[in-house]
Amino acid sequence: MSLTPAHPPVSAATPRKEDVPRLRILVVAGEGGSAGGVMQNLRQWADDAQLEVDAAPDLPRAVRQLAGRRWDVVVAVLGEHPDDDLSWWVDSLRATPGGPRLIAAVQAPSMGLVLRAEKSGVLDLLSLPLRREELVRALDRLRSATGEAAIPLPAVEAHAVGPYALVGQSAAMLEVYKLLARVAGSPATVLVQGESGTGKEVVARTIHVNGPHAAGAFVAVNCAAIPENLLESELFGHEKGAFTGAITRKIGRFEQAGSGTLFLDEIADMSLALQAKILRAVQEREIERVGGSETIPIDVRLIAATNRDLKEAIKQGRFREDLYYRLAVVTIRLPTLAERGDDLFLLTAHFVGQFARRYGKQIEAISDRALELLRNHAWVGNVRELRNVIERAVIVATDRTIRAEQLPEELRGEEPALGDRPRGGLLTLAEAEARHIARVLSHTNGQIGAAAEILGIHRNTLTRKMKEYGL
Amino acid sequence: MTEPHLPPIRVEKALALLPELEALTPLRALLVSISRPDERKLWASSGPYLTLGKRGVDLDELRRRMPQAFHRIAEHIQELFKAYADALDSQQRGDAPGVVAALLRAGHLEEEGGRLTQARAWYEVALHVAEQLQDRRPEVEALRALGYVRLALGEYAEGARHFQRSLALAEGEFDQAGATAASEGLGEAALAQGQWAGTHAWYSRGLRLADAAQDAPRAGRLERQLGVLARKQHDLAAAGDYLRRARERFESAGPPDEMARVLNEQGRLDAQLGRYDAASAAYREALAWVQRAPRDAGLELSIRVNLAALDLEAGRLLEAEAELRRAEEVAIAANLIRHLAQIYTLMGRLRGAQGDETGFVFFEQAIELAKALERSVATEAQVYFAYGQFHSKLGQQEEARAYLERARELFDSLGEAVERDRADAELRRSSA
Repeated sequence: MSLTPAHPPVSAATPRKEDVPRLRILVVAGEGGSAGGVMQNLRQWADDAQLEVDAAPDLPRAVRQLAGRRWDVVVAVLGEHPDDDLSWWVDSLRATPGGPRLIAAVQAPSMGLVLRAEKSGVLDLLSLPLRREELVRALDRLRSATGEAAIPLPAVEAHAVGPYALVGQSAAMLEVYKLLARVAGSPATVLVQGESGTGKEVVARTIHVNGPHAAGAFVAVNCAAIPENLLESELFGHEKGAFTGAITRKIGRFEQAGSGTLFLDEIADMSLALQAKILRAVQEREIERVGGSETIPIDVRLIAATNRDLKEAIKQGRFREDLYYRLAVVTIRLPTLAERGDDLFLLTAHFVGQFARRYGKQIEAISDRALELLRNHAWVGNVRELRNVIERAVIVATDRTIRAEQLPEELRGEEPALGDRPRGGLLTLAEAEARHIARVLSHTNGQIGAAAEILGIHRNTLTRKMKEYGL
Repeated sequence: MTEPHLPPIRVEKALALLPELEALTPLRALLVSISRPDERKLWASSGPYLTLGKRGVDLDELRRRMPQAFHRIAEHIQELFKAYADALDSQQRGDAPGVVAALLRAGHLEEEGGRLTQARAWYEVALHVAEQLQDRRPEVEALRALGYVRLALGEYAEGARHFQRSLALAEGEFDQAGATAASEGLGEAALAQGQWAGTHAWYSRGLRLADAAQDAPRAGRLERQLGVLARKQHDLAAAGDYLRRARERFESAGPPDEMARVLNEQGRLDAQLGRYDAASAAYREALAWVQRAPRDAGLELSIRVNLAALDLEAGRLLEAEAELRRAEEVAIAANLIRHLAQIYTLMGRLRGAQGDETGFVFFEQAIELAKALERSVATEAQVYFAYGQFHSKLGQQEEARAYLERARELFDSLGEAVERDRADAELRRSSA
């Protein structure tokens, strides 16, 4: 399958040579590969294409050369094991100063390799022998990054809640604020529902600081993070010697919360046995430490959160119905980032400000291309994922503007770069199918059974297609 | 219509159903190596605390991969049986050195699979046969193999005894290569026991012998080891000189894995000198050399863990976490549990640096992993030590002291004086 069909020749409207920024390119052969031909080509094209070209004999020497001075692009000629080679290259360039972009060159690339390259943020994957117009097109994309327009970031009004903040003006969030205002003043138990990263803990903290238990502590427990055999002692505490490993007496989270708020996050991950103990604590307002005989009264406000559908979990027998009704006295549902419209821009501005202060940087804008990438991304991890992306971008930012190149490979891979194929950008049926399968497999984290179920095909069919496309 | 797909089973639950039987070790290894993080959990608030126990195992995949595992087990056993048959064959033909060679081969096969006690058993039989021979070279070789496996098992004094005997025999036989190797082994035994003067003497002797024999790879390795020793003794200038010479020896034509080891050590030296950028560059170049060498996940992990520790020390917490997560994937895929315990200990330290109390889950997982290891006490002691520091950082002094005391006890039981003193110092700090 040809993945790099003939592109039209570089157009006559190409800018004047002296206007084009010069790019420094390092050509390197991968394990078992040869860079001789590529080097010869690049030397021939260097003057016209405004390139400064040098070579390194192998990956280790290239890493050394890259550490020495700034390079714009690395052209890696992949060898006999292009998949392995590619992942080593991506790994090696990740922390290289100046962040040079990678162009991988390989004989007859498979569809799987193309997709992996896309996902890793590779600037382009080119077939050998190199064709001038393909290389120039890839380099033009890189050069166009310097022409990104800066969009000033607005000052954002954020309601600080401990280390976090509530940011957003979308209709969906205004509904949340209204509900928060109504529920915070009462001592009622609250269930916060929402996808991962939508801000359930921020909402819980907001309720706490605006509620009758505000003078007490806010104690958060992540039920899914703690090993099942330790969760009970984490919540209720234990006496010294209660079990192997109980080398001191431990005060549990219920007791630590005192007359404050106990936030039980990811509560659906709790075993049924422990759910029964939580129910008893909520009903009786008292607990016992593991291995202890003393009954300890409690006066905490309970807020629980989950990203699961608890009613469905009840149907499946995985969650106690009586506990559900105890917890869901008031239910707050949080919108996904996709449902929050231009809150994304406000949140971006907020996080840029927050991290710029933390890392001692002065950043006032985001480029149009970077913002477009943020807007086009499917935010599976919602605000938490956005926060992560912005933090990394702020760390690597070199001036007052966040640029596309500072965003993670996965986001840059979503640009129509490698996918910038002829036929007006249209894909063949096989290419579209391969891409979709790869996307679903990525979603199921490589689990073939789950992917087959989503795709509505038998797993044997999926396995066959994966082999066919080299996925 | 496809059949409904059940969610993956958590590793902690899957392992709870697997009895601790030696015969099931390959199944346990398979289970761990195919486990994956649950995609839906990656962005959940529990995502940053993901450990091996919370990863999922897809039953379909387990079933699908079982034949490959059976094949590998069968192949291993076949090779062992073949080595044994070769030993019998040599015995029948009266070729005693052949018997020793075949038994040593079996031991090496076990050692490659991480089955150290089994390897020791093969080497002991080989040594017994070799001791009856006129020709002492097979005995030199058996003693060396036994010496190294003893060191790997933490039996340093016994290891040293084997190397000592090996050296005496090699010198008697004018076997220069054997004498060089024995000197190197004695140096390693001394290093493991913190006997710096002895280490220096043995490595230097080995280096002289290797130079005389123009054995460049071994000489380079000994230069690196002398560099390690100098760094441990805080003679950083000398360490730099040794490492530079080792690098020069390997630069032109040395094996890529040796180059990676030298650069890994160079990174540690630069880190100790506070030269974080230079250290980071050295580790990255080391990783690039690893790619050129035959696959060695242990070496790759050692570099990645050092790189993460460097980032942690430099306050680059995001980078440290990303590197640790990459290391975690490598350790899980290669079933390198000791490294995984080390990775989780560092993850716990990282959370401690962020003031995050829930970081305790990493130490708990590391302790659990350490307990499943052969010669687990040293690893366990290191985890308890870091766990104590974690509590101390969070102001939980009572817990801190309890964990540090446990670490101290374990270091003491191992005779690890340097580590015990470190625990003592930390205890004093936490009591102050």
